[in-house]
Amino acid sequence: MTRLPPSDGERIDRDSDVTFTFDGKQVSGLEGDTIGSALFASGQRTFSRSFKYHRPRGLMCCAGQCPNCMVAVDGAPGVRACTEPLREGMKVEHMNASPSLNFDVMRATDLFGGPFTPPGFYYKTFIRPRRFWPLYEKILRHAAGLGKIARSQPEREWQTEYRRRHADVLVVGGGAAGLRAAIAAAELGADVVLCDEGPEPGGRLLAEGAHEHARELAERARAAGVEILTSAPALGAFDGLIPVWQGDTLHQIRAGRVVYATGAVEQPLLFPGNDLPGVMLSGGARRLAALYAVSPGSRAVVAAVCDRGLEAAIALMDAGVELAAVADLRNNGSTPPLNELMRRGVRPLRGATVVQATGRGRVRRVVLAPQGGEGDEVTVDCDLLVVSGGSAPATSLLLQGGARTGYNRQTGVFALEELPDGMYAAGEVAAKGALDVAERSGEIAGRQAAHSLGFGDADSHARVEAERKQLANGNGQPPAVAVPQPVAPGERKGKCFACFCEDVTAKDIHLSVEEGYDSIELSKRYTTTTMGPCQGRMCQLTAIRQMAKETGQSLEQIGTTTARPPWHAVPMGALAGRPFEAAKRSSIHGRHRELGANVMWAGDWRRAYDYGDPQAEALAVHEAAGVIDVSTLGKLIVRGSDAGDFLDRLYPNRFSNLKPERIRYGVIASDAGRIMDDGTICRLDDDTFYVTTTSSGAGTVYEWFTWWLADWQLDVQVTDVTQGLSAVNLAGPRAREILSSLTDLDCSAEGFTYLDGKRANVAGVPCLILRIGFVGEVGYEIHCPSAHGQHLWDALMEAGAEHGIKPFGLEPQRLLRLQKLHVIIGQDTDSESTPFGAAMPWIVKLDKEQDFIGKWAMEHASGEELETALVGIKLENGHVPTEGAVVLPDGDGPVGQVTSSRYSPQLGGVIGMAWVPASLAKDGSRVTISDEGKHFEAEVVTTPFYDPDGEVLRS
Amino acid sequence: MNLEFLSPAVSAVARSPMERQAVAAGANLELRDGWNVAVSFDGEAAEGERCRSSAGFADRSHIGKLELQGDLSQIGVELELGRATLAQGAWWCPTSRERALVFCGASQTAELRERLEETPANVVDLTSALAALTIAGPLAPEVFARFTAIDLRPQSLPLHGFRPGSVARTPGGILREGEERWLMFFGAALGSYVWTVVADAATGLGGGPIGIEALAALEEEASSHA
Amino acid sequence: MSYVLTCPNCGPREVTDFSFGGEVNPRPKSTPSVRELGAYNYFRDNVAGVQREWWFHRSGCGEWFLAERDTRNNHVLLTELPGGKA
Repeated sequence: MTRLPPSDGERIDRDSDVTFTFDGKQVSGLEGDTIGSALFASGQRTFSRSFKYHRPRGLMCCAGQCPNCMVAVDGAPGVRACTEPLREGMKVEHMNASPSLNFDVMRATDLFGGPFTPPGFYYKTFIRPRRFWPLYEKILRHAAGLGKIARSQPEREWQTEYRRRHADVLVVGGGAAGLRAAIAAAELGADVVLCDEGPEPGGRLLAEGAHEHARELAERARAAGVEILTSAPALGAFDGLIPVWQGDTLHQIRAGRVVYATGAVEQPLLFPGNDLPGVMLSGGARRLAALYAVSPGSRAVVAAVCDRGLEAAIALMDAGVELAAVADLRNNGSTPPLNELMRRGVRPLRGATVVQATGRGRVRRVVLAPQGGEGDEVTVDCDLLVVSGGSAPATSLLLQGGARTGYNRQTGVFALEELPDGMYAAGEVAAKGALDVAERSGEIAGRQAAHSLGFGDADSHARVEAERKQLANGNGQPPAVAVPQPVAPGERKGKCFACFCEDVTAKDIHLSVEEGYDSIELSKRYTTTTMGPCQGRMCQLTAIRQMAKETGQSLEQIGTTTARPPWHAVPMGALAGRPFEAAKRSSIHGRHRELGANVMWAGDWRRAYDYGDPQAEALAVHEAAGVIDVSTLGKLIVRGSDAGDFLDRLYPNRFSNLKPERIRYGVIASDAGRIMDDGTICRLDDDTFYVTTTSSGAGTVYEWFTWWLADWQLDVQVTDVTQGLSAVNLAGPRAREILSSLTDLDCSAEGFTYLDGKRANVAGVPCLILRIGFVGEVGYEIHCPSAHGQHLWDALMEAGAEHGIKPFGLEPQRLLRLQKLHVIIGQDTDSESTPFGAAMPWIVKLDKEQDFIGKWAMEHASGEELETALVGIKLENGHVPTEGAVVLPDGDGPVGQVTSSRYSPQLGGVIGMAWVPASLAKDGSRVTISDEGKHFEAEVVTTPFYDPDGEVLRS
Repeated sequence: MNLEFLSPAVSAVARSPMERQAVAAGANLELRDGWNVAVSFDGEAAEGERCRSSAGFADRSHIGKLELQGDLSQIGVELELGRATLAQGAWWCPTSRERALVFCGASQTAELRERLEETPANVVDLTSALAALTIAGPLAPEVFARFTAIDLRPQSLPLHGFRPGSVARTPGGILREGEERWLMFFGAALGSYVWTVVADAATGLGGGPIGIEALAALEEEASSHA
Repeated sequence: MSYVLTCPNCGPREVTDFSFGGEVNPRPKSTPSVRELGAYNYFRDNVAGVQREWWFHRSGCGEWFLAERDTRNNHVLLTELPGGKA
């Protein structure tokens, strides 16, 4: 392995070898290398195969900007070799080439596949004949995408997580401008975070001879208290929240002010063969040499449009690279690097650029010619072609945050024109490219950001204002840049790649315009230019220029596509973060687990579905006693002198006349008269009601109550005590005995009647006991502090043991209540159901003196004929229809559906509930149910299947 | 007195919703004021070190938690939104002009509740409805940053600052009890879930569970320094 | 969507802390006609611009408040408690 002689700025440690494998072959690099620099140093030139044509691609940007070096690392695809630090033992593999990187059969698409891969090929090819689709699908699945991910992962190998970071100022980009901004803001007292894509801050300073200055600035920033996040690209701007990805942490940064010092992206040039390995951006070539002491080539041609490329040419000469030719697109003018080259005996071709590169598998020969075609061509042999097509400000994040850009004819790029409040830009992104200007603009932006948050004194304000004016006036001539012209496809042999990620050529853009996709947004979607991993960095400007040429419009008219996140490629795992599965569990949950419960999700609760045998559990309730954990019920305390009035306004029935220690069922409806929720309400005393809601409705009902309260301003206070109380329903013929053995309360049928609500100690714990009958047997819903839930459960199970008590789950409860035709809101009703349709017209008290929510709609509904009504159904042939099966009245179209259905062992038959035409909502009517392609007859039943008169319940 | 069924009684064992996780993590439980409390884990030295170098979290669900609503003028404590007032051995934390949460020692709860019921304020005992964790140590803010967006920087949350808001994507809040000590409360039914979230976050930063004895020792240490 | 709302009680919090209560849509003061009732129940202005709307601080103080928000860019211009509580 050969390296350049040691230099100060290099990042490698020449004494520490790092060994890894590339496609199974052992390779050795140095500590501080990236995968890319180590592989390049070992002689590797092809790093990947391109998306569509499987053309060999090599290192181009060496900054994680382009898609050319993506590899799979330890099974994870999509890693950019040029920025990924080398680790001992890492397993690096190529992507998108088979059988090998050097010999890829899919290369045929490049050589012969033109007709199959026009722009929009996925709309055009592989479609007819249709019967071949299964075959096509196989081929396409194989061809699509770049990397492969493991189909299964035995164990979760790494955990990602979010880290919330609040800051006064966030600086995005740690180049000269960003560091200056961070220092300035922090020295004024602001809490500053700076994030940078690279492994150390410094940006271009690091590889362009100013590493010491970069390290000085970084040191000063740290000393000022700046939190510097490295290898941490910002992904997007979301209403002021900026996600920054760093390894397995996703920082979610919310800063009062954001300074963007995101720099600029060096642009490639458009010519046939512009994607060959060996064609590099000038910045990439310099980084390889300066940071990793790897020579990017031995004989170089440089094609530049501004001084940046010429500076690279000088740097490469210094690194020992032979300079074969230099083309400077600018026709005239004199600049320091131009003079320096002349001094060294290099005579750049003026007004010229590269028009073709050729070579098998890598660049061997380059043709230089004057732009526009007038004049002599020069053909040069080389193994490195350094291109520098100008710098496009990296404005994507700013645009996402609300900034605006416009086309600048002088510089040939889209430049910032307007920044929203709270946003600042500094350095190259703000067209402050020269080092001293960049630093001054950073300093000003940092100070302004801090000032706007109240840091700094009047003197500081005045000084920064003066500096800002001075910088604005003294900006003088912007650096001389020549704007590359679009190419004419087909003029020279070979593909000109406008977009490297998606393999879109200049010709493809030409064709897409011809087909009518003449707006940049349409062209983007049709050709997929800018939609690849580079996110438009390498292709947007080129594509716009080509579009302008093809449509005859100006670049201003073409405009840019909408900037969207993510600005930087990010693994899905990093976005997923740590799973937050906010499961609610009853305080008795541990006991259910121990009893072998099948646990299921019920809304956001984990609940016992059953304990293994739902039918036996249901029978136990009829025959002895059952106990079910109903802690999930919503529970509200409604208190105040207006509490009764308040409930009268919210419910269609009356509660102000409910006697203390008595319970009444209630249904909450919207002002449209639709059922929202139901539950029981127990009056505890004159001013206090205990309101229960459905398990899933607790939050909604609390919000509903407090929302109306905010409007009505009554003397009422509502407290949600759902999680404060455990509740169990003890039901069955032996329930009374079991409860009596644990309390001093008179539990006799006379002393504690149906719909009484009593407070007493049970098993030494203060409880509220509601005698209600959701499951149809004598039942007591016992509510106690959740801290005692497990204690109460244990006491009941122990006291009930001799009576044959059994725990029962949600499923048996559903069967038991179905036998009683008790409606489950949301199961048997939907958002259109009214109390009239749901067979509870009795609950609507239209004669109530108060206005109540839903009254007007119910008044209208009460006068109208129902279309459908909710009834019980009975099926004779043993088939349990699917919930949701369609009800067909006379073989016509569907008019309703089955909402609940079960086999009842107690009744020995299949029962259910269904919406049927109102005319059939009477005992004995027959309806047809269509289920699983067959028809089943059912009989309508309007009274409960079990204990229709409620004698058992009230006993 | 008609809401007695909301208040845990000393006549039966009261359990924290995080008890099972604490036990699984090695907690030693002791009965304190009717509650089964995780008093220690792997020893005061290790637990103390955790809080000095990283972050320790302690289950404090047993503390009394009262909600006051309505007319708060006669409770005898000055309230200021965004701040908790330490008075009568309890933290008084207003969530609005007409509602406040009061956190107190488990042994004080009944007495304080009875006294407050004498005032025009409406008192509801939320001791069982809310679970509570104290997270202490220099890395505690980093632990919090893994699951809440509430800004804990000293300039945003000064000593005794109080911030109701989402923790671990559920309703709750945070009270800065001490320089490096924050009390977090949330719904009791989410106790087991929140324990998992906090333990995950803390473990990743070198922290872990601590008992209330280690917490008490830290407090003593802090006050002797002060 | 990840903007910040300032709860009049609790201060600034992520929007995910809150429940959205819809645009302010006052309930008719007296018995509405069928048309008025339909409009009240089902029609909303849905402006592209500043809208007055209800928000509930579900994860915090648990109170309802009013906000004026520009629906085009989610800039919240004002938040206040209803009915003179402010």
